[in-house]
Amino acid sequence: MTEAIYLLCAVASIACAALLLRGYMASRVRLLLWSGLCFAGYAVNNLLLVFAPVLSPGWTEMPVREAVALVSTGLLVFGLVWESE
Amino acid sequence: MKLFLSGGLFALSWVAGLFFLRYWKKSQDRFFAFFAGAFWLIALQRLLLLDPGTRFVAYCVRLLAFVVILFAIFDKNRAPRR
Repeated sequence: MTEAIYLLCAVASIACAALLLRGYMASRVRLLLWSGLCFAGYAVNNLLLVFAPVLSPGWTEMPVREAVALVSTGLLVFGLVWESE
Repeated sequence: MKLFLSGGLFALSWVAGLFFLRYWKKSQDRFFAFFAGAFWLIALQRLLLLDPGTRFVAYCVRLLAFVVILFAIFDKNRAPRR
């Protein structure tokens, strides 16, 4: 059941990233680019979680996964600050 | 290290939510309100992950945040003028 939630999170975050980046390509609103990049990072984070048992049994607790999420959220906050008046 | 990353993620998600709240207040576009809610759910999820006993609930909250984002995008596409 937990693995199913991990997989659903991965699928949902990939969909979020794809839709936001597609929205950016269509409208060129840069906030959508920052948000899309953030969710792309979440997608990587979630995919690492899904494939953790294959990659290495210790991966679920490895900081690399969380570091990816931290960098991507930091990128979004940078974009939000950059775009604000 | 893990606690540092969790704290950083909580704070950044909370701040991102605040920025989206400001965008919503300025534009009255509910797309931003959904984003603010989603990022606060992600911040809440970070708190829940601190307790191994609530790990499953935490990932359900994370999934809910992603669903809120997807709903916001579909809502925006359905009513592009809002």
